[in-house]
Amino acid sequence: MIELKNIEKYYANKGVKSYILRHVSTSIKQGEFVSIMGPSGAGKSTLLNILGMLEEPTYGAYEFMGEDVVSLNERKRIELYRNHIGFVFQAYHLIDEMTVAENIEAPLLYKKVSSAERKSRVADVLDRFNMVAKKDLFPNQLSGGQQQLVGIARALVAQPSIILADEPTGNLQSPQALQIMELFKKLNEEENITIIQVTHSEVNAAYGSRILHLLDGVIKEDLSLQQVI
Amino acid sequence: MFRLNLKIALRNLWKYKGYTAINIVGLSIGLAGCLLIFIFLKFQLSFDKSEEKRDRIYRVVSSWVYPEGEFFTSGVPIPLIPAMRNDFSEFEKVAAVHQGGGILKIRNEEGGADIKLKQDIFYVEPQFFEIFKIEWLSGKPEQALSQPNMVTLSEKTAVKYFGNWRNAIGKSIRYDNKADYKVTGVFKDFPENSSFPFKVVFSYASFDDKFGKEWGWVTNRSEGYGLLKEGLKPADLDKPLKQFIDKHYTEKSPAKEKHYFQPLSEVHHDARYSNFRYKTVAYKELIGLGVIGLFLLITACINFVNLATAQAISRSKEVGIRKVMGSRRKQLIVQFLSETALITLISLGFACVLTELVIPKMESLMEINVSFHLFTEPVIFVFMFILIVSVSFLAGLYPALIMSGFSPALAIKNKISSASAGGLGLRKVLVVAQFAITAVLIIATLVVVRQMEYMREKSLGFDTKAISMVNIPGDSLSRLKYEPLRERLLQLPGVHDISLTSAAPISSGNRTISFKYDRRPEDEKTQLNIKMADENYLKTFNLELIAGRNLSKSDTLKEFMVNEQLLKTLGVANPSDAIGKMISLGDGGGERKIVGVVKDFNNMTFKSTISPIAIFSDKHAYAAMAIKMDVKEMMTTIKKVEQEWNAAFPDDVYEAQFLDDNIQNFYKTEQVMGVLFKVFAGVVIFISFIGLFGLVSFIATQKTREIAIRKVLGASTLELVKMLNRSFLWMVLIANLVAWPLAYIFVSKWLNGFVYRIDISIWPFMMAMVLSVVITLITVSLRSYKAANTNPIDALKYE
Repeated sequence: MIELKNIEKYYANKGVKSYILRHVSTSIKQGEFVSIMGPSGAGKSTLLNILGMLEEPTYGAYEFMGEDVVSLNERKRIELYRNHIGFVFQAYHLIDEMTVAENIEAPLLYKKVSSAERKSRVADVLDRFNMVAKKDLFPNQLSGGQQQLVGIARALVAQPSIILADEPTGNLQSPQALQIMELFKKLNEEENITIIQVTHSEVNAAYGSRILHLLDGVIKEDLSLQQVI
Repeated sequence: MFRLNLKIALRNLWKYKGYTAINIVGLSIGLAGCLLIFIFLKFQLSFDKSEEKRDRIYRVVSSWVYPEGEFFTSGVPIPLIPAMRNDFSEFEKVAAVHQGGGILKIRNEEGGADIKLKQDIFYVEPQFFEIFKIEWLSGKPEQALSQPNMVTLSEKTAVKYFGNWRNAIGKSIRYDNKADYKVTGVFKDFPENSSFPFKVVFSYASFDDKFGKEWGWVTNRSEGYGLLKEGLKPADLDKPLKQFIDKHYTEKSPAKEKHYFQPLSEVHHDARYSNFRYKTVAYKELIGLGVIGLFLLITACINFVNLATAQAISRSKEVGIRKVMGSRRKQLIVQFLSETALITLISLGFACVLTELVIPKMESLMEINVSFHLFTEPVIFVFMFILIVSVSFLAGLYPALIMSGFSPALAIKNKISSASAGGLGLRKVLVVAQFAITAVLIIATLVVVRQMEYMREKSLGFDTKAISMVNIPGDSLSRLKYEPLRERLLQLPGVHDISLTSAAPISSGNRTISFKYDRRPEDEKTQLNIKMADENYLKTFNLELIAGRNLSKSDTLKEFMVNEQLLKTLGVANPSDAIGKMISLGDGGGERKIVGVVKDFNNMTFKSTISPIAIFSDKHAYAAMAIKMDVKEMMTTIKKVEQEWNAAFPDDVYEAQFLDDNIQNFYKTEQVMGVLFKVFAGVVIFISFIGLFGLVSFIATQKTREIAIRKVLGASTLELVKMLNRSFLWMVLIANLVAWPLAYIFVSKWLNGFVYRIDISIWPFMMAMVLSVVITLITVSLRSYKAANTNPIDALKYE
């Protein structure tokens, strides 16, 4: 599903190159649950951003479902967002002026899903996440964990093939964090959705099937979880 | 503390260069507009204000009440002044003034060329100078204007004629080749803002008709002034005035004669009456201009409020920290207000430069012979001070209150949301107000421009192209030369036709007279407008004859041609029925037959209806030659005409004006209005839309996060631009709805001043809407495209 070859990312400042990523090559298959780990500044978020096409690598090739993404134009990229990629953020990034239901509905609007189907899908997801009662509340009326649930529901509603999550539990307390990770695991196992998350937590990483350890922009370790156990 | 605050203020202005530039540009233009309007208004309102006794000075004016309405004139019958002096004990002084004009000749004693020029002159009674205070450099009015053939000059005129005013005394000036006048005095020039453009003043005793006894005859060249005794009120004059009118108007006449005492302060502003400058500026127009100035200022202030509240969040941290450090709210308010004052002050600097640049343009537009300077009068500084204070408060108070009210705990944690930083609601209301002002001005401009076009293009019912009106002297000797000159001019190539006449079909000088039709015993209820012209009038002006025949050649009144309007007022349905009917003019004039009926033509501006008109020959009344020329050879022909004319009348001064220019002059005020509207509407539109740009920029910045989220959810740039446009388009639409009725009221009021006018159609309104929508779309899209195109990752970094 994802092929990275020799990805490099650096910023040149006054002639001095500061590398964020060096020689990153890896491939991720459909249905994997990958955790990217490493100390602060190792380049985890940059790697995730590149995977999410929010940033471009300075060098290297990136293929997403067989397509060369580096040279992709905006319209194609938006198509990928609409149909294949769901994002989950550490700070949830819900739209404050919209209710829970409206937030979840938003990606479907851009996908040009018909109104009736939007309604049923939103209802579906609300039901699945046990949030029917909260559907008319605004984000600031929810707890952090609940907001992140909405964030995930929003990512899922468009039925993506991959979810990119940047420290999804970073702002949450552990019981809520566990709940989120259980949800990810379930989605990964039952619906075969590829999940790539950035995390600091060993516990969270343990829910996945594979761990990429980054240090100073280089992949130090690439563990399949069976090996860890 | 103050210096620190100033430093922070300057740094802040520098940090947000874009917003600062928008504020300063908008405010500078707005302030410059205000300064210009202030200078103009001040000049117009200063007329006759320097007169010491202005509160006691009154002009006596006349009116006639006809069944169809009241007609006003600034003139009075000549015997009225002596009668008033006799009958009114309420007046301390009474003075008559009569305007004349003719050829002045001044012999050059040093052997140079003589001066010969056409000049307006005034016959003035010496009492005038006891009512109006003018300094005399030489002579005293009581003596210098006491006898016939005495003339006094203003200082500048004396210098112009004699090189030095001291030389002028005792010299003689020949007037109209008839009599010599001795210079007996020199007075200081009347100021430019005086209603009396007196340069050459003759003694009233020199006036031929000074003992005139005709109460039924009035020209606006004769005016009368009175100085009320101290302690009396204008109301004290009501009773004696009524007695006065009853006493002197004993003859039966179709109209009821009336007189009023007009205060001096109204002379420059009451459009019903003329004055010797032939220029009145109604208070209505001045108020209109003032309102435009206010609009300018308000739109600029709205920009300021919008941008300042929009920026408030970025300063919330500073507010929080200052509060924690112990600053009180009042101190913060003072700080923010002084920042506003600083911006206003900077803008005022630019505005002054701008004003100085534009002043010459304004002078030429308004045709004022005064050179204005920004700083000649101290009162401008007072005005500027008021501007700074009011703009600072108007623009600065609300943002200052909002910003100083932030809770420090939230502010420091950067948790001030846009909602608490001054409601978006208020900002919306302000934007709507701004757009509404813009829309009103767009509509008004479109209508004014359309009406001007309509007046330019509407046919007057006669030819105006390539016709030059050339003056001809009216003395008996000159009259003999009319025909030979006409013959010679007709020989010139490029001259098509020539008619001798009292006035062009359309003219500001209209003579009216009472008349009898078809031997009816009573005078008709309406007055007849008369034009004296020879048999070539029809052909020269291409007037259309619809019944009967043209006038036959004659030097005196022999027969009449009339217009359709006269038949309409007389109730004659078929034009040919009027042929052969008799008309007699005035009291006791002989009867003459109607021989022709001409199609109606506009004899006055489009502000008035067509009058009933009679055209007849009378050589004694001719004052001009209408020369119809070939358009292509006009310029060369007119030069030859001048040569021939000068050969025929060597003692007179040649004057010519193209009829087209003449007609344009009737609409001077409207044209000035048109230009002003175009300019100020442009300025207000500009200010509004840079303000809009600023606001959109801010909203785009504020919504960066939302835009980024939507982008990763799959929104395309186009969809985001649409989203940002939507709310602004709503505001523009609402603003237009607010503006329409206001604009309608204003525009229909203005158009009601014209008899011949365009109908108010929906188009200007639609145009205003479309224009503002399009400009909004462009402005918003430009900025939001940029916002929608930024990389979402920049906005979605950890908070």
